[in-house]
Amino acid sequence: MDAREIYGLLVQKFPEGILEFKENLLDPAIEVKPQALIDVAFFLKAEQGLEFDYLRCLSGVDLKDQLEVVYQLHSIAKGHDLVIKVKAAAGDPVIPSVSGIWKTANWHEREAFDLLGINFQGHDDLRRILLPEDWIGHPLKKDYVPQPEYHGITPDRPDGLDAIPIGEGGEQPRPPIQYLPAMHGPKDEPEGKLFHLNMGPHHPSTHGVLNFMLNTDGEVLSRVVPEVGYLHRGMEKLAENLQYSGNMPYTDRIDYLGSMFCNHGWAMAIERLLNIEVPKRAEYCRVIVDELNRIASHLIATGSMAMDVGAFTPFTHWLRERETINDIMEMICGARLTYNYMRIGGVSRDISPAVVEKTLAWLDHFDIIMEEFDRLISENQIFIKRLAEIAVISAEDAIDYGLSGPNLRASGVDFDIRRDEPYSVYPELDFDVITGKAWKGSLGDCYDRYYCRMDEMRQSVRILRQALKAMPEGDIRAKVPKTIKPDPNEVYSRVESARGELGYYVVSDGSPKPYRAKYRTGSFTSMSIIEHLSPGLMVADLVALIASFDVVAPEVDR
Amino acid sequence: MSEDGDKKISSSPKYIIPPNIIPGAAVATTTDHFINWFRYSSIWYMLFATACCGIELMQTGGPRTDLDRFGSVFRTSPRQSDLLLVAGTITYKMADRVRLLYAQMPLPKYVIAMGSCATCGGLFTQSYSVVNGVDKIIPVDMYLPGCPPRPEALNHAIIKLQEWMRREHWADKIRKA
Ligand code: SF4
Repeated sequence: MDAREIYGLLVQKFPEGILEFKENLLDPAIEVKPQALIDVAFFLKAEQGLEFDYLRCLSGVDLKDQLEVVYQLHSIAKGHDLVIKVKAAAGDPVIPSVSGIWKTANWHEREAFDLLGINFQGHDDLRRILLPEDWIGHPLKKDYVPQPEYHGITPDRPDGLDAIPIGEGGEQPRPPIQYLPAMHGPKDEPEGKLFHLNMGPHHPSTHGVLNFMLNTDGEVLSRVVPEVGYLHRGMEKLAENLQYSGNMPYTDRIDYLGSMFCNHGWAMAIERLLNIEVPKRAEYCRVIVDELNRIASHLIATGSMAMDVGAFTPFTHWLRERETINDIMEMICGARLTYNYMRIGGVSRDISPAVVEKTLAWLDHFDIIMEEFDRLISENQIFIKRLAEIAVISAEDAIDYGLSGPNLRASGVDFDIRRDEPYSVYPELDFDVITGKAWKGSLGDCYDRYYCRMDEMRQSVRILRQALKAMPEGDIRAKVPKTIKPDPNEVYSRVESARGELGYYVVSDGSPKPYRAKYRTGSFTSMSIIEHLSPGLMVADLVALIASFDVVAPEVDR
Repeated sequence: MSEDGDKKISSSPKYIIPPNIIPGAAVATTTDHFINWFRYSSIWYMLFATACCGIELMQTGGPRTDLDRFGSVFRTSPRQSDLLLVAGTITYKMADRVRLLYAQMPLPKYVIAMGSCATCGGLFTQSYSVVNGVDKIIPVDMYLPGCPPRPEALNHAIIKLQEWMRREHWADKIRKA
């Protein structure tokens, strides 16, 4: 069903609650009155034929005199999309919370509260999520003034080498350690019965700087509250101060294990805003680097999963294979990790025959190594015992919490953006969408999430073989104006990254810089389900669970 | 034999080959040389990977570059490490934790700021939540530029640090800190 038909339905049903249909936007949006939001949301989710069960993204936008919240909805069953919008006055922005309808909204609303100060009524745990508790102000507001100092640390940086006390261990005066205020414990713990434990933010198996606050009864967890934001680098604010093309290197750092997807999504969003057609060869180049990157990322995911449950050797095997991919990437774009390869309208460099040859040769070798890896670890009894039947996620939960990518597919939901909302040249390539098969336990357990990634690597190899052979001759970049100034509009574009749906919601106001850019990442949403899954797990299972989600800290915190 | 070995240590700045020890023979050297030999041959670094640079840190520990060759292996606890490799961006929210980690390391301790973020804030200098250089919160011994630095660069940094350690009077290092 398209947006106009849904609008008709909604106007019939809620004549008072619907304000406007914005048809001239790239993704037509329906504006809803705040008072009617809950009813409309409930209707959209429950009504036969609409069934919007998946909240892709929830973004707040500061419109100066008003604050706006944008909901990107999707229906996995029906395959259609819808955008709804709600506005509130800037002075006292109160908007009803939809976290009771879509669980995904829980963390996204906390983020909008943290960065924009929007007050979501009815949210049961509305507190800061990315910034520290004692932070002042909401950074994504247009009139935000940064703090001159935080806990004695100032942002100024003297220029020149003289300012750096090289080799001396540093003589500059430094503020003393401020011992931390009591951490937020889970709220409902009965006094004295449970043990309170902090896991992170520095912990080898939390994959970067993530913190988990555990309530344990012996080895058994009664509650786990993830605490994120230790790597919040303010990328969305930085994007507002950069030109569209200048933001490309920053997107690399959103997900350093899958920089190509981040590049790709950003390029696609701006191309849609500008209505640019990308040359065929460039699209092939993009798919090739995407799939190479997907393999590289899944190598770390599966390898570190083995490492986290106690098998170190597989990880070193995968690091060795990754080095070859790094070499290929270096031949393609000159960088090993943060590629900055794509440009708006194409890619920066062509893929040479030498690269094609080297990649094809490596793929043949990789097939053999995959078999070896399967023998080494996938069939290992200890490994299976650690993962099978652990933290089973049902398909309904996975959709409700907005999981995406391999995490969603492992629960049996057959949804892949590459196939279901095709972009680039994926429709021309032949590949299977991998879903969980309950190989060793029940559908949606940690082992399924592991094996999904293994099988996806095999599919990526398939795609690569086809794409490398089918790559046509031609240009690698479309004609793009020097200064990119899209007309006022807004767009949501998504790619299937290694960690699931990577979406960019970009609002343009006609100037050379984006008015608002919101990054929807797979890791952020998958972190929010951990609290729901944790009761009853053992502490060691939590490690397996985190590893099976393949979260990357900057993707959570941005 | 003993004099010979001693001379070898002080005269060659680059490599120290421990004297061929004949069973039953005694070796005389200075305490500094002796202790430094242990220290620089086992620089255990803390696996403190906050962001992208952490991946290059892992690759450096991996099979190709293989930091183990230099006696450097990663430790996950600050109490067992000699070297804090700050690999990645440090935010204000993380800053106090970094100080705590540093305070927990035993003396003598060293810090390498890996990557432009840890060196000076790098790409994120303009951000509202990023500490512009980890030397604002803990003393830094070595700055390693790059975004991210290549494994070879990190390797070089470790070798450089070994050279420093070789020349140091370890007790001074403790007293100064
Ligand atoms: S220096 Fe570059 S690669 Fe390293 S953490 Fe910072 S942004 Fe990432």
